[in-house]
Amino acid sequence: MAGKNPIYLWVNEERYEQLEKAGLAHHTEERLAGLKVLIVYADDDQAKTFVQKFGAKHDTSTTGSIELLPKDVKHRLFEKVVEKQSIDVVGDVLASYS
Amino acid sequence: MAEIGHGGKEIQERIMQPAEAKEKIKGLTQIPVRKQIANEIINLAYGWFCPLEGFMGKDDVDGVVKNMRLADGTIWPIPILFDLSQDEVEKFGVKPGQSVVLEYQDNPMALFEVTEVFEYDKAAICQAVLGTTEDKHPGCARTYSYKDKFVAGKITLLKEPKINEPFGPYFLPPLKMRAVIKEKGWNRTVAHQTRNVPHTGHEWLMKGAFFQTYGDLPIEKPEVGVVVNAIIGEKRVKDYIDEAIILCQDELEKSGYFGPHNHLSSLTFWDMRYAGPKEAVFHAILRANLGITHHMYGRDHAGVGDYYGAYEAHHLLDTVGEELDITPVYSMNWLYCPVCAEITSEGLCNHKDQQQKFSGTLIRSIVTDGVKPPRLIIRPEVFDQIMACAEKYGEGSPFVTEEYLEKRTPVFNIEPL
Ligand SMILES: [Zn+2]
Repeated sequence: MAGKNPIYLWVNEERYEQLEKAGLAHHTEERLAGLKVLIVYADDDQAKTFVQKFGAKHDTSTTGSIELLPKDVKHRLFEKVVEKQSIDVVGDVLASYS
Repeated sequence: MAEIGHGGKEIQERIMQPAEAKEKIKGLTQIPVRKQIANEIINLAYGWFCPLEGFMGKDDVDGVVKNMRLADGTIWPIPILFDLSQDEVEKFGVKPGQSVVLEYQDNPMALFEVTEVFEYDKAAICQAVLGTTEDKHPGCARTYSYKDKFVAGKITLLKEPKINEPFGPYFLPPLKMRAVIKEKGWNRTVAHQTRNVPHTGHEWLMKGAFFQTYGDLPIEKPEVGVVVNAIIGEKRVKDYIDEAIILCQDELEKSGYFGPHNHLSSLTFWDMRYAGPKEAVFHAILRANLGITHHMYGRDHAGVGDYYGAYEAHHLLDTVGEELDITPVYSMNWLYCPVCAEITSEGLCNHKDQQQKFSGTLIRSIVTDGVKPPRLIIRPEVFDQIMACAEKYGEGSPFVTEEYLEKRTPVFNIEPL
């Protein structure tokens, strides 16, 4: 479970309200002119799966962030956060595809 | 008045009248061509590639490879090649002095007056044009994929292509573009090369270049136009779809961030070679032929990976500037600064620790989530247009997918004579 590779989930007002209800709004950070982002983390094995199975790009040289994930994966990640009231959701979402 | 293009040559469209075309192609062998060649036929016929009138012969290729010049000394950085295999040369009976018809989408497209069949060392082309012979460079991969014989000769289009919606209004070939620029009354124009949907960083690149280009001109009436010239060519999965690129660029004008008095969106068909500095010179030639007077260049123009230095293209342009009919305008990056509370230039703002830089991947990730960013990052009208294009043209995605590549309407069609 080594590695801490960020995945950025962008948060509009509607999403922010959902996060508030789930008690997770304080996890958001502000980027780009105040746009909110919720960051969930994948471990190295999960990052590999995202690259191999979903064609994502793993920026290992700088931030380690996982980019170019398909829309469906990103939506499931956010939905799972709200449902589970936790940001530890990457494993659940990957399992939902198997 | 004659419209003079690159190399001091008059731009003349090479397009036949229908009756003449039918007559001329009678009995000629037809050779099907792929999209890259069809794009280049259009460029040759309309004058984007002026002074070229056809696919290059060995002397020209040799000049381009050894000196970045055609055989007659005109600056030219990238070979324009028509390739066939030895088997095809034999099968189609291609030989000097014998005209053939080039066929695209199963219809006759162009007359090709063959003057030469030759071979050329592809690795030498790669080294000279791309600065590397590594096949992981996309320009090298393209060059190595060419078949082994090159065929030279003049090209004449048999009939104008039908440009499909929504691209029609943006197809402004050199003579047409020059007429539009005259109509607008612009004294100077500045080209913006793009394959992107614009965020405000791009918007400000254009606005900055507008002021740079304006310089000492009088301000009583609009004298400068920004000409967005989108490159429409080979798509790769996860690029923005062509429809979104052109419609979102135009949206900036339609929604008033620019206006028709200072902005115009257009396209050029071209498969990027990612040749960095050499491609920068090539883009200068394309846009000079369009009658544009200035050309924007940012960092690592038309580069890929870390093959070229950030300013290598600028340095090369500076060595040949005298021979190009277009003035380079160098652009610094724009970013968002929360202290300045605005989009500002890296050359201006000194809040170094607080600056928020635009990154293509970050913007893509926002667009993928369908989350509308603040208007200081992406204009709301542009964002809505991205989403509308995704629905209308992209099978739900503003980025190229396998499904899009399979199902999309071609940008242009060649119809029966
Ligand atoms: Zn600042």
